[in-house]
Amino acid sequence: MAWYNTVGKDADTVISSRVRLARNINGYPFASRLDAAGANELIEKVSAPLEQAGFRKINFADISPVMATSYVERHYVSPEFATKESPRALLLQEQGGIAVMVCEEDHLRIQSILPGLSLEEAYKNASRVEKRLDEEFDFAYSEQLGYLTHCPTNLGTGMRASVMMFLPALTRGGYMDSLASQLSKIGLTVRGLFGEGSGAAGCMYQISNQITLGITEEDTLRKLNDAIAQISESERRARKSITGEALEQLTDTVLRAEGTLRYAYRMSSGEFIRLFADVRFGIALGIVKDISYEQLGSLLVEVMPATLTLSSENTPKSEAARDRLRAQKIQSTLAPRRE
Amino acid sequence: MLCEKCKKRTATVFYNENINGKTRSYSLCGECAAKLREQGELQDITSMIGSFADPFSQLHDQFFSGFFGMPAVKSISPAKKCPVCGSTYADIAASGKVGCPACYTAFGDELSGLIQSVHGTTHHTGSVPARQRARKEKEEQLGRLRQELQQAVKDEQYEHAAELRDRIKSLESAPDQEQEDK
Repeated sequence: MAWYNTVGKDADTVISSRVRLARNINGYPFASRLDAAGANELIEKVSAPLEQAGFRKINFADISPVMATSYVERHYVSPEFATKESPRALLLQEQGGIAVMVCEEDHLRIQSILPGLSLEEAYKNASRVEKRLDEEFDFAYSEQLGYLTHCPTNLGTGMRASVMMFLPALTRGGYMDSLASQLSKIGLTVRGLFGEGSGAAGCMYQISNQITLGITEEDTLRKLNDAIAQISESERRARKSITGEALEQLTDTVLRAEGTLRYAYRMSSGEFIRLFADVRFGIALGIVKDISYEQLGSLLVEVMPATLTLSSENTPKSEAARDRLRAQKIQSTLAPRRE
Repeated sequence: MLCEKCKKRTATVFYNENINGKTRSYSLCGECAAKLREQGELQDITSMIGSFADPFSQLHDQFFSGFFGMPAVKSISPAKKCPVCGSTYADIAASGKVGCPACYTAFGDELSGLIQSVHGTTHHTGSVPARQRARKEKEEQLGRLRQELQQAVKDEQYEHAAELRDRIKSLESAPDQEQEDK
């Protein structure tokens, strides 16, 4: 089962955890100086052991732009990887959410994405694949700078660990800017998801380590985990502080959002993200009772434009047709399940 | 309900304050609440997070001053090129990215300021590739054996010395990987 169809630890505040390792192979220039022949050779070499280990190879030169975007929506590849023109391939093992991008910015981007708070597990998954490839290839490495990467910001461990958090109460309370500035002081970055810059619409934020050199993988994960635990506590405290009139007002907003999600005839992805946040907040507060985190969470991928388009036998011809399709998909996913 | 401060946005923050037995309640929007907290007029529930050990605070300042403009390096000759991929420092400065692994050696001095400003250090402490680890272990082992050999010769234990010499020879000619498997 894919990561977005399941629910993990601390689901009230955490949507997913991701760890990626950047690696390059000696003997090849970095992506911007690698020609097509070199890139294809690299893809061939790296694919062999991974395909043997059960990975599925997806050559991005051979797939449609819609299919490529759908991999972005499922968080298996970066937007840059989906749209660049040079040869590149994804090696995917949905179990464990393990995706290896070959010829992205670095030769290899090995990542594992899992539901809920699960950084150690994600690191273990990515690390296992990395070790397998380490047996086969000579990774670019220097004793002083660690793993050598295309961009100096990834030197050292080449590891970026990130947690996608759901923080509606801190967002409503106007705490996100001060949180971001406090986190930046300890080497962590906050990035809003699904929204221009602030990410306020979906109340979803990606929190990740900024520094990769001079700190071990274990310390990076520990530091991030500590921060996530404290942010989760702050969010829960902020949620508890909503009482009286504020709670009644919020209950009204949440139930209206639930009604719209269940009964709308058409829905844009922007509206969906807003309503998603309200209803997810409602589940956390116990206001929404018969929608689960899994049901709602799967929609976050499945009604995104490209994935939605692919799910239909007839490609929707207009924006309105796609919005109609989205509303139908939401309705059927949220319908009470018959045993 | 509208925010009582700006009277424009919807109030989402509701506060009850109890000072000397007098209760005062606020209804504020997120933006106004943030402003008041900055001025210290409202209590900040995230201030707990500020109690993190803070070894990186200096780094933060360095990061923003250093990274967004590549540090100016005076002593670079524009003709200098990476011997492997041909990148110049101007290429690297323009893209923020190096051309190949060898660029880090070729432009070691020029890049060290940038690396220091991004990471706050220039020394790796994390994991090591298996080959590298094996190579290092082999070098260390060879170093120990050579010392032992010198000592054996000094002590006139020629039989032992011959044995050590053979071990050194076989270790030197062994590929790195065999070391790993023990």
